[in-house]
Amino acid sequence: MNRNVSRIFAALFGILAIALPLFAGDYPLQVARNIMLYMALAITWDMLLRSGQISFGIAGLFGVGAYAAILGVIRAGMPAWFSIIFAAIFSGVVAFAIGFLILRLRAMYFSIVTLALGEIFRIIIHNLHDFTGGPEGVVMQQGVIFGGSAGKLYWLTLAGLAVAIAASYWFEKSKIHFALTAIRNNEISAKSSGVNIFRWLLLAFVVTSAIQGLLGGIFVQSYGFATPDTVFSADFTLLPLAMALLGGVYSTRGPIFGAILLGLVSEWLKLKIPYGHLVVYGIIIIIVILFMPQGLKQLVRQPANKTDRRSA
Amino acid sequence: MVVKRRTAIIAAMSIAATIALILWKPTVLIYGLQAAGLYAAVAIPMGLVLGIVHIVNLSHGEFMMVAAYAAYSACKALGMDPLLAIIPTAIVTAIFGWVIFQLTIRRALKGPELNQLILTFGLAIAFTQTINLIFTSQTYKIPLDYVSASMDIGDITFGTWSFVFVAVAIVYTYGLQFFLTKTTTGKAALAVGQNPRGAAIVGIDVYRTYGLVFALAMALVGAMGALFLTKSAIFPGVGTPFTMKSFCLIAMAGVGNIPGILGASVLLGVAENFLRAFRPTRDWAEIVFFVLIIVVIVGRSLKGRKS
Repeated sequence: MNRNVSRIFAALFGILAIALPLFAGDYPLQVARNIMLYMALAITWDMLLRSGQISFGIAGLFGVGAYAAILGVIRAGMPAWFSIIFAAIFSGVVAFAIGFLILRLRAMYFSIVTLALGEIFRIIIHNLHDFTGGPEGVVMQQGVIFGGSAGKLYWLTLAGLAVAIAASYWFEKSKIHFALTAIRNNEISAKSSGVNIFRWLLLAFVVTSAIQGLLGGIFVQSYGFATPDTVFSADFTLLPLAMALLGGVYSTRGPIFGAILLGLVSEWLKLKIPYGHLVVYGIIIIIVILFMPQGLKQLVRQPANKTDRRSA
Repeated sequence: MVVKRRTAIIAAMSIAATIALILWKPTVLIYGLQAAGLYAAVAIPMGLVLGIVHIVNLSHGEFMMVAAYAAYSACKALGMDPLLAIIPTAIVTAIFGWVIFQLTIRRALKGPELNQLILTFGLAIAFTQTINLIFTSQTYKIPLDYVSASMDIGDITFGTWSFVFVAVAIVYTYGLQFFLTKTTTGKAALAVGQNPRGAAIVGIDVYRTYGLVFALAMALVGAMGALFLTKSAIFPGVGTPFTMKSFCLIAMAGVGNIPGILGASVLLGVAENFLRAFRPTRDWAEIVFFVLIIVVIVGRSLKGRKS
């Protein structure tokens, strides 16, 4: 019964999301696009978190994808739609290669190394002036995909979000869920039960990185330019993290709720205080960690907690 | 025996490299040492916190930034020299750090390590953005005459003021060494760092010690914040690289090895300035420490798996 109600809500919400461009103006569409982008990043961050690994390198792989897409168009003459797929593949391959090195690391060492890798990508792109345009970045001559039509760009971002949500549900419903949860709860017992830890972590890392790259590609195609400071901005690490934490981690729904709530609040705050509205994100992270480690999910779904724990 | 031989080889190689540098590019060595002093002086308090309280404080550099802004405000309001503000800033930052510790970090100490990491990350953002809110992202600098003091040896000229950082780093290292091994409070702190439960059993108030150590570390960082103001312009993001650099140096030296931080920072400082000395590689100097941090951490994990 309860499940049916929530399914109906999800379906209604989905239809609303798809139909939004038919009646909303450019400004709401722009806000919705931003929220969806961060939401998708929050979901990918959470997908890796389900294995117990905290990545601070979302911005790094996002930026790699963004540059792969724009350079694919400018230097290799790819069609715009293909460059987005290329961005996903490129980020996935990069993640596959670095995964062999860094997925043996745990806890703070993994987090710090992902942060450092993001910076390395930024500096490399910043310094390869001839190929990447250096600090001034690159601009696409033929302009934005779909001629900049707000509705179509919205649907493109929505498609990126759909990929993230689908992947997240795949992670939740298949046996990947059990593998990742086992690794998170107790690595030694997971190993002794025959879970190939490294393989599952590599899978999770490559899939999440590929989606982050895909989103980078979508981002750069819908704005038509890339500079190291915009696509490697710390916001792309920070905001998704705060959103997922606020909504509640280890689920698909948590980051979605968190992103909608924080996205709308920060949009409103941006108009009120142009400087330093990001302080809200810092404070939210602190409060959530201290007082409600399970996020808003904890407040909304108190009775359902027991079943959650059993399946977790 | 094997370890000894390896140490001897490393020592011989570094002496040879130093001599080669002195003959070839003396400024690389001088500026490298000055940078190393700054890095080490900021990293040592973080090493103290990591070694005893066992948290990676990702808001470490931000504490220094906040201290620098506090010193700047005091200097502007009272028209005094940043050097005079060192002691007051240290005291204020220590109190501020103690309050933050009691309000936030203390509550997360029992939780998983990842919570502490995210918590201090949140603190870092909150500090940077609060400063951004109050002072905006404009840079501030106090012009001082003595900072541009320089010296000539033979045909090279270099600034001497930054050697003050080297002095501070050395004072911090040996001061802490003295504090941890000779004073009662220091010995208690060391005991808590080695085994909190054992320390609690013999009657040490563990959480009080954590608070004290954190406040002490913040006092040292606060003093550095005021000193940093003499040399550099400040802006909200000025402390962020220092968090990463400090962690890198501690990871290189090994947690709990405070004198090792000095050596690691010399390596980092000289390597950065070496790249900066040549035009084609100048822009790549920034990348050195990110590469170094990955090499060190991954290298350690590979070595750990073998043994």
